[in-house]
Amino acid sequence: MGEYFEAIIHSFYNNLIVGNAYLIVIKGLGITLLISALGLLFGTIFGGVLCFLRMAASKWLKAVAKLVIAVLRGSPVLLLLMILYYVVFANSRIDPVIIAVIAFALNSGAHISEVMRSALEAVDKKQIEAARMLGFSGPKAFVAIALPQAGKIARPVYQSAVINLVQWTSVVGYVTITDLTRTVNNIGARTGEPFFALFLGVLFYLGISYAVYALFSIGSKREGAI
Amino acid sequence: MITISGLSKHFGNLVVLKDINFQVRKGECVAIIGPSGTGKSVFLRSIAMLEVPESGSICIKGTDITQKSVDINKIREKMGMVYQGFHLFSHLNVLDNITLAPRKIRKQPKAEAEKKARELLALVGLSEKADCYPHQISGGQQQRIAIARCLAMEPEIMLFDEPTSALDPTMSREVLSIMRKLTRMGLTMIVVTHEMSFAREVADRVVYLDEGGIYEEGTPDEIFDHPRRDKTRTFIRRLNVFNYEIHSTTFDMVTMNAQIEVFCQKYQVKQQKIYHIQLVLEEMLVEILRRCYAVVSPDIAFTIECPSGDGEVSISIQYAGSSFDPFGETTPDEDNLGITLVRNMAKATSHYAEKDLNTLIIKL
Ligand SMILES: Nc1ncnc2c1ncn2[C@@H]1O[C@H](COP(=O)(O)OP(=O)(O)OP(=O)(O)O)[C@@H](O)[C@H]1O
Ligand SMILES: [Mg+2]
Repeated sequence: MGEYFEAIIHSFYNNLIVGNAYLIVIKGLGITLLISALGLLFGTIFGGVLCFLRMAASKWLKAVAKLVIAVLRGSPVLLLLMILYYVVFANSRIDPVIIAVIAFALNSGAHISEVMRSALEAVDKKQIEAARMLGFSGPKAFVAIALPQAGKIARPVYQSAVINLVQWTSVVGYVTITDLTRTVNNIGARTGEPFFALFLGVLFYLGISYAVYALFSIGSKREGAI
Repeated sequence: MITISGLSKHFGNLVVLKDINFQVRKGECVAIIGPSGTGKSVFLRSIAMLEVPESGSICIKGTDITQKSVDINKIREKMGMVYQGFHLFSHLNVLDNITLAPRKIRKQPKAEAEKKARELLALVGLSEKADCYPHQISGGQQQRIAIARCLAMEPEIMLFDEPTSALDPTMSREVLSIMRKLTRMGLTMIVVTHEMSFAREVADRVVYLDEGGIYEEGTPDEIFDHPRRDKTRTFIRRLNVFNYEIHSTTFDMVTMNAQIEVFCQKYQVKQQKIYHIQLVLEEMLVEILRRCYAVVSPDIAFTIECPSGDGEVSISIQYAGSSFDPFGETTPDEDNLGITLVRNMAKATSHYAEKDLNTLIIKL
């Protein structure tokens, strides 16, 4: 038992303390969080726009939005990332992190737009009509009734979209970004103890997922029942 | 207050309303009745421009609201609509449901809106439910809140689309009594309803809608007691008749009795009498099942006809098979208590049979 314990301490020291490795891990974590957060922010905005177009009255806008959503949802985010990095922005000097943010915003935006659409469609149309009968204009009724209700309906799906997004950012190593996954991989390779380092990585991602989960449940508590 | 002329509405090839002319005076309560699918809802909704008519004009206090230049939101502020399905805002509690429109549309300060809302809650008798969410209260309570939500905007016109159809009799009564209050407050009301006693007692005018238009209109007495045209007559007559068919010896008598009770209550039949009706039917059905359908599967249909008011209730039972008169035994069967009981309760009984079909009429 004591031996195990000592081995773990030893691994811990080897992997995280030697050469201030923990600072590198924190930096990698920072990159992962940055790409996730910005990807989510722009993805949500982009998703909102896509959703608006998708539900627009114009047949053409609708068709275009449908096509964009289908293509983005149907292609692996890693391929999208590589296309942006090696083809679209191949000759530019744009920071790969920005390219990654663009790729994840596009990909998650397409998913989020569908989450938003199905939530909006699930809102009771009669309640909107009731609001219109009280004198609300269309946009005002949308803000006062449809948005808050759709938000509640969408929350659990949106939450898992966020967690998916965070986990998919682990592929950014392919375009030379040193994120959390790449960092723990590097450390594992250096110390010759890949198991410990990679396992540590898993714990970090788990931690992020729980943090996301906690944020969402605080949000829903604040909003009250149903 | 409302003047509608030449109103027409169709969906594709389906003509729902054609060339309707209709007026409602200030403070009047008009009931709209008619068979299902004749466009009662569409008519009511077009008065609020929720359905856009193809032609015709709808003038509310002199403004033709079918004109594009009209700000329909402003018009609707002065109009309340109450639905069969309540449609309270499910993400808001009762108080917020009522204050939402005054605060957002009329920019009332929160405190003022809430004060008014609590007065309205008192009016509909639900002061203690202010903090509940819609799903936590009963249908009847939800409907009363929906009415309060409309009243918060101080409407001059209230439109009701079958406000009690989704409610059981007790809850209906709660809602109807609120609606009575509203007529006394001088609101102009148009009520699409299946609740004939309400139409009869409360409405100033009853409109029978059929064949895409106003088929007949008049005072409640004229429509209910002296309908002039065929379809109105048929509709009114069918209203106070309860139909039931039995095709199995194991039919659900409990449900049947419950339906009879609901039906009779609608026509203000006294509880004592309802009990008698149920008893008579039970006895007669058991007797007929025993005597006529011991081997073949039953084929029985009966109707109960309730006149409005406290008149005679007439039960008519028809059953297929060779002639059998339960009261016809020449020497009364002293052992058959049931039959004796019915015979004593009934004001009159009669039986006739023709071509394998028995008809038994019992008046109570
Ligand atoms: N939005 C719509 N699109 C197509 N047809 C419609 C629409 N709304 C109503 N209808 C049709 O118009 C006719 C009248 O409908 P409406 O709902 O007004 O009937 P109603 O008299 O209110 O019946 P009920 O008593 O069952 O409520 C029906 O045949 C219905 O199918
Ligand atoms: Mg209807």
